Amino acid sequence: MKNTLKVERAILDLTQDELAQRIGVSRQTINSIETNRYVPSTVLSLKLSAVFGKSVNAIFSLEEGD
Amino acid sequence: MTLKDIYEWDKRSLERIKKFQLATKYKKVGIGLSCFVVLVMVALRFTEAEPAWIKPLLNNLMLLGLLIVSVSKEKIEDEYIVMLRSQSYRVAFLLGVVYVFVQPYVTYGVSLLIEPETARVEMSYFQVLTFMLLIQLMLFHVLLKKCHA
Repeated sequence: MKNTLKVERAILDLTQDELAQRIGVSRQTINSIETNRYVPSTVLSLKLSAVFGKSVNAIFSLEEGD
Repeated sequence: MTLKDIYEWDKRSLERIKKFQLATKYKKVGIGLSCFVVLVMVALRFTEAEPAWIKPLLNNLMLLGLLIVSVSKEKIEDEYIVMLRSQSYRVAFLLGVVYVFVQPYVTYGVSLLIEPETARVEMSYFQVLTFMLLIQLMLFHVLLKKCHA
């Protein structure tokens, strides 16, 4: 699974810490999602989608082999 | 009490156990208790008198300290941290089982070389539980550090 979290964050000019605070997780969690080490839950994906004002599908997409 | 009530009570109990965690501040209590026990154990090495009751008490206090650290929350306990915690428990459990299989024979082999008369295949609950708790804590710490990078 790949994502455009870093790009979306840059568009809103948010740091990892600020984004983490907005959705109530740790900065490490945001970092791990951005570096594709962790696939977030549906709840967290929906929270991210609400912050960026985009659908979950626009932020997360499947890769070959998923 | 109907069967449904029993089922509901069982489900609620299981949920409570699954979610059981101590507040972050207790981590320091656990670390303090474990360090205190280590210091007392070291101090007892240099004394002649060691009452029979003190070793089991210290062992239990050490386990209690490690357990408190293990079940204390991080400052932000989100789903990622919960996943890392689960991974560390899983690995600690698996290594604990392997440890139980292997360690008594390693100890026996070493004892045979050093003191063949007293060599025995044995292991205490303290060794196993301490090993498992230490593995869990170290692995969790390493995983957390890794995601800081």
